[in-house]
Amino acid sequence: MKRNKKRPLKKKGSKFSKLSLFQKPSIKFFRSCPLSEKNAPVVDYKNIRLLKKYLSESKRILPSRITSVSLKKQKELSRAIKRARSLALI
Amino acid sequence: MNCYEHTLIAKQDLSETQTKILINKYHDIINKNQGKILKTEEWGLRNLSYEIKKNKKGFYFHFKLEGLGKTIEELEKTENIDDMVLRFLTIRVKKIDLKTNYFENKEDQKILEKNEKK
Repeated sequence: MKRNKKRPLKKKGSKFSKLSLFQKPSIKFFRSCPLSEKNAPVVDYKNIRLLKKYLSESKRILPSRITSVSLKKQKELSRAIKRARSLALI
Repeated sequence: MNCYEHTLIAKQDLSETQTKILINKYHDIINKNQGKILKTEEWGLRNLSYEIKKNKKGFYFHFKLEGLGKTIEELEKTENIDDMVLRFLTIRVKKIDLKTNYFENKEDQKILEKNEKK
């Protein structure tokens, strides 16, 4: 019985912290993947213009947490970029 | 039969007749070894993004072909020996799309090159 009394007390504590990290944010700050939309451009090693968007200034591959590309497309991208590099296109 | 895409980088100091000879040479090798060329693209003289064998520019050629593993073996064997070829890449593709050519517009290339210089 003692335990039952303690539990509601804890819930009150959680209400207290409104700005906890585990709360869902009211504002959306995750973009959906720009490469898996409808009519999205095809990831290809010949399409240099598209690949250049996903490179940093020093021509390194940008991480997907910055560009918000899905895992599947990020793998395709990295493969395409490496192919283009070996042909000295990028 | 498998579908392949093959790109070549040749040296920049080739004359027009020499390029034709070079292309015909590789066409013959593909045709002899049970291959079939569907399309050839010439991307022209482009700046290399880094030096390859002390060359700063190169002629790009792109073949789209159907063939077996043997044809690719024979192709790469001769290319490895060839002095005029700087580098090559073959990629197996599920489907070949003959419509899109990313290097068709020469104006776009000039814009790209300008941006690189900046």
